[in-house]
Amino acid sequence: MIKIEHLSKKFGDLIVMKDITTEIKQGEVVSIIGPSGTGKSTLLRCLNLLEIPSAGSIHINGIDILDKNTDVAKIRQKMNMVFQSFNLFSHLSVLENLTIGPINLKGMSKQAAQAKALELLRLVGLAEKADSYPDELSGGQQQRVAIARCMAMEPEIILFDEPTSALDPTMVREVLSVIRRLAREGMTMAIVTHEMDFARDVSNRVLYMDEGIIYEEGPPEQIFDNPQKEKTRAFINRILSYTCRISSPDYDLYAMNAEIEAFCEKQILPKKTGYNLLLLVEELLQIYRPFLYTVVLDITIAYSEKKERLELICESTGEELNPIDNENLTDDLGLTIIRNLTESIDYLRLNGKNRLQFLIKTNLL
Amino acid sequence: MDLQTKIENNAIIVTISGRLDAVTAPEYEKKIRELIESGNIYMVVDFEHLDYISSAGLRGLLVMVKLLNAKGGRVCLANVNENVHSVFDMCGLTALFKMENSVAEALAALA
Repeated sequence: MIKIEHLSKKFGDLIVMKDITTEIKQGEVVSIIGPSGTGKSTLLRCLNLLEIPSAGSIHINGIDILDKNTDVAKIRQKMNMVFQSFNLFSHLSVLENLTIGPINLKGMSKQAAQAKALELLRLVGLAEKADSYPDELSGGQQQRVAIARCMAMEPEIILFDEPTSALDPTMVREVLSVIRRLAREGMTMAIVTHEMDFARDVSNRVLYMDEGIIYEEGPPEQIFDNPQKEKTRAFINRILSYTCRISSPDYDLYAMNAEIEAFCEKQILPKKTGYNLLLLVEELLQIYRPFLYTVVLDITIAYSEKKERLELICESTGEELNPIDNENLTDDLGLTIIRNLTESIDYLRLNGKNRLQFLIKTNLL
Repeated sequence: MDLQTKIENNAIIVTISGRLDAVTAPEYEKKIRELIESGNIYMVVDFEHLDYISSAGLRGLLVMVKLLNAKGGRVCLANVNENVHSVFDMCGLTALFKMENSVAEALAALA
């Protein structure tokens, strides 16, 4: 139905989307997820020609929509879009919002357009609001009207650009249930969303976008339960991390402590967890200290909000060496503290580096 | 780290505030060594304002105990907060140090 090949978009020197190739088949529901600013909305806007791609091609049912002879208005009728900010006409009633397109663009009679509009309003549960104006409705109701307005044009595909982002949590469900219903009825849809549970339930396929590319795509079971790539895993498990590089034994412990405390505060981790992290880092640095004349050490603290899992990873350059196995430790006080604060300690040699990974005890969170 | 001292009931009360870590422990050890060498062998260390301790700090305290034992002296810690106490526990050092809930109780314990 939609075939996208090598699609790119630049704004000046800024590349927001590069070399996107994918296909959306009839009846498919494709969710597009990923961090903010990674080109998800730009992809939808390019499909609807609200943005003109810098390179690549888009074919809809075999028609090249970037061809200058293509009737863009006709394409937009086939492929309508629902926006984050509803974009209803505020000077028109709900009913008029739904009928203006079919009357003016499709040549439908007013009577037929109104009958269809009322039917669609019933579908989204808002028939009694037909004579209201948009500013008399809640955000959730406005978005449902926007979806009904979109349906009034009888599109073959609907593009949803973060349809619930502007809504408060109480209104998200009413909008999502309307979209779920459309999915059940076989409507082809591409949905940019931050609602992960919704994306998992409603989609046939999920595209994970990062840094302007489709970084990973697959069925929802793969993307949400068994993501294959590192960035997808980090995003799905909501892993937030802090990394610090130490390349000298004269590191500034207090500057590092301040950054770790700021990280803990940002993730709303308990004060005790922050205390234990500082302790763990200091003990590790003391053990690594003799090696810091010759090796570079990267310390990463990674917190998975979803799994409530806090990890500390020490990655060091140099010859194969596990510093905590070192028999030259002056005493075992530091190591005892480290073992008390952690649930597991794993050492491995990976890509020419020594990697020590600590899972911090969950009862400390 | 800040370290203040005063004499009371023939003992020296050492009030330590801030952090006892890899950065501050050498300074702590130096000052304690000076105090002991100048004859202060009954000591209360008030931890009320000590926020943090690491193994480096514990080593400083162990040196203090060793020096005092050699001179027939004694030490009692006062007002050890929960975070600091947990580090003693982790290292199995709680039994090695006498700890009291206040400076007054610590002084009494030394008498």
